[in-house]
Amino acid sequence: MRHVTAIAGRELRSLFASPVAYAVLVLFVVLAGFFFISGLLQFQQYVIQLQMLQLSEQLQDVNLNDHVIAQFLGVMSVVLLFLVPGITMGLFAAEKANGTQELLLTSPLTIWELVLGKFLAAALFVVLLVALLSLYPGLLFWYGDPEFPKVAAGVLALLLVGLSYAAIGTFASSVTQSQLVAFFLAFVLLLILWMLGFLTELSGSAGSAPSELLRYLSSAEHFEAMVMGLVDTRDVAYFVVVVAASLILTKAVVESARWR
Amino acid sequence: MIEARGLSKRYGDLVALDDVSFSVAPGEVVGFLGPNGAGKTTTMRILTGFLPPSDGSASIAGHDIFTDPLAARRAVGYLPETPPLYPEMSVEGFLRYVARLKDVPRAARKQAVDRALSRCGLSEVRRRVIGALSKGFRQRVGLAQAIVHDPPVLVLDEPTVGLDPIQIREIRTLIRELSSGGAGEQARTVILSTHILPEVEAVCQRVMIVHRGRKVLDESLAKLREGGIGLEEIFARKTSTDAAVEEARA
Repeated sequence: MRHVTAIAGRELRSLFASPVAYAVLVLFVVLAGFFFISGLLQFQQYVIQLQMLQLSEQLQDVNLNDHVIAQFLGVMSVVLLFLVPGITMGLFAAEKANGTQELLLTSPLTIWELVLGKFLAAALFVVLLVALLSLYPGLLFWYGDPEFPKVAAGVLALLLVGLSYAAIGTFASSVTQSQLVAFFLAFVLLLILWMLGFLTELSGSAGSAPSELLRYLSSAEHFEAMVMGLVDTRDVAYFVVVVAASLILTKAVVESARWR
Repeated sequence: MIEARGLSKRYGDLVALDDVSFSVAPGEVVGFLGPNGAGKTTTMRILTGFLPPSDGSASIAGHDIFTDPLAARRAVGYLPETPPLYPEMSVEGFLRYVARLKDVPRAARKQAVDRALSRCGLSEVRRRVIGALSKGFRQRVGLAQAIVHDPPVLVLDEPTVGLDPIQIREIRTLIRELSSGGAGEQARTVILSTHILPEVEAVCQRVMIVHRGRKVLDESLAKLREGGIGLEEIFARKTSTDAAVEEARA
């Protein structure tokens, strides 16, 4: 455990020693603010329109949770698709390119400690991102009355999605010594995982057993259920399994590099 | 202190190391010679636990690299051919990190880092960022990370490669000092690989030559001097002909 925190600590310090981490954070927060405000303005216009048309029934269905916060978190989960690979690309690839892999693998630590330390660094960065993001929906509590449990479920969904991205990014970084390759590999893997659900819809085979399986494997499916306020153990379990599987694969890759 | 028994390493069909055995006594400084691709780095990587051998085993300070890998790694300080440095870290921060990785207890860490800094002549640049250091200083940081946990065994892979003559002399002096102990440290067992034959004569007591994955010579320098043949001549004879390999095989 001491080694895990040592490795994660060094990784985070290096991340913040370069302007990259700050640039990513600023970009993310600004981008998020833009999406949030545009979502809010759209919502306002929609409400005004409904009022003018005196559609009181529809007006009752409209709320901040579903029309602003859930939408916003949905967009953010797509933004994370681009951002997290940028954070994880260097985790192992940079060590290999740097020659510091030799220091790590000749130190008295287990490969699990190494993998967990690397993942922990990426995970903490994701936690920071999500915490910054949840400030935006948090603002709405001043001016409106969104339902807290629903908001919390949405933030949890975003956090879980982000952590699963971090684990997959960690894996992608372990298979190459090029940070660029690690970035694109992670991005492609995440995109495929995200799109599996859409693919089945496009192919028109929805309902059949294989397409149901694909839907189940899609990260978007589980995210969307949760972001609407429905925290199901199955969805949580999905993300836990993705993280665990990615880290087990990473460990296998790092270990096998020794035997080649 | 170092015990290698029948080490072999194969990469597919390529035999990088073929049944190499040797033992190094405590406090001994051994020069590891051989043409490029002879198996020097492979041997060192096996001893330090970076690579597992295909066959055979080794132990460091009594700890087997297979059955007790963590203790074996704790007993070794390793300077790879390219020093494992993080350019964005400060010298001191980097050594503190390595001390943590190498299980130096928290209470002893500051002292361990200070000792490594002063032994390697780095006290003045301790707050500097590694990426901004000259090559000679970087090599010193590489040595400092190898000794920060005060290991009884040092494995140095071409420690003077790419340095200018003055830096080479400084590093050699440093290696001699590190091997002889003193300043509250134990005497260390050292294996170092090099292409520079005078380097062996300058710092080592014993020389080992590998060629095409086999050990073709293992002799003390004093003995070789008695024979009256220069090291260069011996090296040429042992590595230029296949006869040497055949001889070793017989």
